[in-house]
Amino acid sequence: MRKSIPEILVEDGFITKGDRDEIEQQSAKTGISFIKIALSFGYISRKNYERSLINVGYNYAPIREEEFDPEVLSKIDIHFAHDRVAMPLRIQDGKVITIMANPDDELFVDFIRFTYDLEPEIIIASDLDIIWLSHKLLGEKEIKSAVFELLKRDPDSSAIVTFTTPQLVFIFVLLAIVTIGLVVSFKNTSITINVLISSFFLVAIIFKLFLALVGSRFELHQAVTREELKLVDDNELPIYTILLPVYKEDKLIKKLIWNLQAIDYPKHQLDIKLLIEEDDDKTLNAVRNLDFPAVFDVIVVPFHMPKTKPKACNYGLHFSRGKYLTIYDAEDIPDTDQLKKVVTLFGKLPEEYVCVQSALNYFNRNENFLTRMFTLEYSYWFDYMLPGLDTLDIPIPLGGTSNHFKLAELVDLGAWDPFNVTEDADLGVRAYAKNHKIAIINSTTYEEANNEPFNWIRQRSRWIKGYMQSYLVHMRNPVALWKRIGWKGFLGFSFFIGATPVTFLVYPLLLAIFICYVVFDLSTIRSLFPDWVLFMSIFNLMVGNILMIYVNMMAVFKRRYYELILFAIANPIYWLMHSISAYKGLYQLIVKPFYWEKTNHGLSKVNNPTNIVK
Amino acid sequence: MRISKSLYLLFITIILAVYYLVCGIYLNGLGNYNQESLFYIEKTKIVFEGVGNRLKVMGLTSPIIPFYATFAFNLISVTLAPVLASALGTAVLFYIIASTVVKRLVDDFYMWILLALFLFHPGIIYTACSGKGIYLILIFFFLFFLNLFKFYRSNTTFHISIASLCLVILIFCDYRFVWLTLFFLPLVLAITIHSLNLGEQESVFRLFMSFNSPSLRRKLVNKTFSLYIILFALPLVAVLCYKLLNLTHASDLNYFNESPYATWNVLVDKLSFDALSTNTNYKIPEVSLLISARVLLFCPMIIIAVFLYRESTYQMLTILTPFALIEFLHIKYDKVFVPYQYYLMFVILAYLCVILKSHTVRKPGSLKIALVICVVIQIYFGGYYLYSSSITEEQNFVNVLFRRTEDETEEDNINVAQYLSSLPGDSKVLVDDATSYPIVAFVHDIKPLIMPYEDAFLSALESPDKYVDYILVATSRNAVTGYTQLNNKYLPLMKKTNSQIDFRKVFETRDWVVYRIVPR
Repeated sequence: MRKSIPEILVEDGFITKGDRDEIEQQSAKTGISFIKIALSFGYISRKNYERSLINVGYNYAPIREEEFDPEVLSKIDIHFAHDRVAMPLRIQDGKVITIMANPDDELFVDFIRFTYDLEPEIIIASDLDIIWLSHKLLGEKEIKSAVFELLKRDPDSSAIVTFTTPQLVFIFVLLAIVTIGLVVSFKNTSITINVLISSFFLVAIIFKLFLALVGSRFELHQAVTREELKLVDDNELPIYTILLPVYKEDKLIKKLIWNLQAIDYPKHQLDIKLLIEEDDDKTLNAVRNLDFPAVFDVIVVPFHMPKTKPKACNYGLHFSRGKYLTIYDAEDIPDTDQLKKVVTLFGKLPEEYVCVQSALNYFNRNENFLTRMFTLEYSYWFDYMLPGLDTLDIPIPLGGTSNHFKLAELVDLGAWDPFNVTEDADLGVRAYAKNHKIAIINSTTYEEANNEPFNWIRQRSRWIKGYMQSYLVHMRNPVALWKRIGWKGFLGFSFFIGATPVTFLVYPLLLAIFICYVVFDLSTIRSLFPDWVLFMSIFNLMVGNILMIYVNMMAVFKRRYYELILFAIANPIYWLMHSISAYKGLYQLIVKPFYWEKTNHGLSKVNNPTNIVK
Repeated sequence: MRISKSLYLLFITIILAVYYLVCGIYLNGLGNYNQESLFYIEKTKIVFEGVGNRLKVMGLTSPIIPFYATFAFNLISVTLAPVLASALGTAVLFYIIASTVVKRLVDDFYMWILLALFLFHPGIIYTACSGKGIYLILIFFFLFFLNLFKFYRSNTTFHISIASLCLVILIFCDYRFVWLTLFFLPLVLAITIHSLNLGEQESVFRLFMSFNSPSLRRKLVNKTFSLYIILFALPLVAVLCYKLLNLTHASDLNYFNESPYATWNVLVDKLSFDALSTNTNYKIPEVSLLISARVLLFCPMIIIAVFLYRESTYQMLTILTPFALIEFLHIKYDKVFVPYQYYLMFVILAYLCVILKSHTVRKPGSLKIALVICVVIQIYFGGYYLYSSSITEEQNFVNVLFRRTEDETEEDNINVAQYLSSLPGDSKVLVDDATSYPIVAFVHDIKPLIMPYEDAFLSALESPDKYVDYILVATSRNAVTGYTQLNNKYLPLMKKTNSQIDFRKVFETRDWVVYRIVPR
């Protein structure tokens, strides 16, 4: 009698008997096939599994080009195929041609027999190829849902339309008024514009300083204390989904596994989904070639425009099993106790809290000027600004990763907008508008700071474009927004999301005028603007810059990055880089609003700490 | 309970504000003015009523914050604006201190002490009714130290940042406070050493250990530097920027501090110097080492404060910092008398320390008795110091306050101003407000006056016959005659350079003469 695959694996020494029992228990409990659990929960590497199969005479067949019959496919659900790592393709010679990763899967064989009333003809294939093919062929409904669900349910919140007609009318009317003003009275119009812009600049920065001060007041506040964490019972922890959207991140897969393995959470309660795009063979092959066990479930996102991270995440949602869900980037190193802390915090918070945002910071902060500036910026953003917003009950623009959701509520909200390139910030405001709340937690995820200027500008241009998109989306009906989120929320949203791109856009103009005035002493500027306007503008610009530098300086204290404090002085230069990105973002907003500027990761030469335990 | 207490507090503050307003307006009615408030009145008139290049006046008048604070009250009365500002400002100071007390202490005794000080301390009444910017100095001095002490306890960036912002404002209320940064250098080091995670408790040994371990040394240097930066970067950069603005707009980095057109201090210091150098009776109390002793006599409560903090090195150092400042100021500005506000700040600091630390005292009864005695002494010496002050206007104030007689100090200036106001509508008058700002402050309409902020001033100075009809000239008896070109040497010079003009004296007081220009 032929031995079963689990027995072979035990015999080959790749898993222990204890492992086998554990896997079988899990399989019975979740309905996921034995081999999927073995390959996705860190029991066996794909290479070893292939070795065992070869030893008993099985060879992987290339299946990507196999013919398929839509009629046959229509009788199987993607979830079932995904969980069993198997799918029927067509009927040939009175048999159902079936691809399987584990030929012993009796449940699936029985499914074929009962569904098609025929015997299966099994082709053994790599689980990754089966997943790739199953999602490509069966995932159409889910991918359509990932792209269009929000648009169908809540079209006003979708960024598929960048500028609405009233917004275009407003913009062009404003431009016309300014042009007419300049023609009729150049001097007065220039004065008005100058005063408005420079005052706006100052107010926006003072608002940031105010937020940072409010946030800094609570810098010692621990949302979840060590003592509370000690009381957590591992047996009562819910299933936690981690979505890992990646695109061409082949170099980071090994690091990713090390980081995920360090997370302090029961293995079987973790539901980690690696979301790989259909055309991303690089990452898929990197997973295939791992010579140690993976700890994630691969999901292949079928091709569909727009090719954005939120679309991939929305797709991943269809396969998520957790009560809670979070997103990490491939290079992220979360604090090991982060998930437990979040579960504890959700347990403490009232029902209306649907999301918890962790702080983000960088592990390669001392690599170069850019990484230092980036660290300063993130430190004040996550350590001071967001707690400030939280305290004042103003909508929090979520960070790109490490935001933890209640899965059911996230789905209820319509999940992420695939047409928005800062879907996280947009979701924060959308959640707030629907009377949900977001909390901040005392846990940090360390990321890789962008250390290359052009890569930095690409990333930043996407963020700023996304802020513009989000602002346009939510300001389609300002009165309704005001009513929904209140005056505080409205002003906070306008100054935080709306003002950010505007300040970056006007900053170089103000700086240029200032330099012309001070350095070149241009008489035209003096004759154009009356003294009080010049005084006010210079005051605004100088005070604005000083305060912004100061806010950056504050950032070093909580994290004790004292060595970075002087770099805050370079903030005006850093802002100029923001301005370049803002103009790029503005250009893209007009010509290709959904284009996702990919940030290259893995450029850092700094070895990230393998495990950060607090 | 808390709400009713807050309302109660607000009610007391309003009553106090009314009390100060009544006193201030009454004293103002008796003719009590001082150089600072007259200077603000004059500059405010230029800003709101003047013609020509007002940017310099608007931006570089110093100290800028007390100057701007009077703006809000111009709608009521330009002449009363500084008094209104100081009266309400002092009430605000009371509210800020009192609300700190309410938040920290349940015992109403401390509130009564505070109320006694604010009602009866002549120095506080001087702050409230003089129209000077002392109230702002005291407010931000209090907030600066309050936040520093809070920082020592909480160790959060918030308090140190707020302290830094308060220091910025304090410096722009009185530039001399910039020297405070100097004395915080050792203090910041002490704070850092204290915050290092070391087993050793004794500060000196902690310092020794920190210097001898490379990693601790690096940490110590980085943290000390960062703390220093976060506390003093804003004030120092703000001063630097302000100086740059002075350079670009007045071609002088220290214009705001050294030009009599920008600040009232220049002339007052000069007068103070004259008084010092010509006085035959040497003023013993102003001998350097005695300043601190004078402070102790003026504010014995500070001894209680030092006693309360005797076990905390850097808190003690913090209390001693203002002593270092006042001694330093006395050495640096040795030609001038120490103004009253530098004594007054100790009253505020001592009270702050007491309210922060009183809950730790084992025998509150004894403390209360000591405090009552201190308050009585402080009120007595508050009046005595004003009365015996070497600064004339401080003496004037207390004389008018206690005797309620007319103050005639500004009478001459008012007479000249009335004469200038009575001139025919189209007459132009050449006036140098570096010295004559007390006159300009009383003039009804400043448009006929040609002053240095206007482009035409220099031309008018060169050929007065073409630009003006009258000239206001300082007599040789005027104490500040050397600070203006329009003095008794100007007329002979003009006659010499231009034989076609002559000057006819039309109005004269002890310090000023108004000449009418007549063709020869």
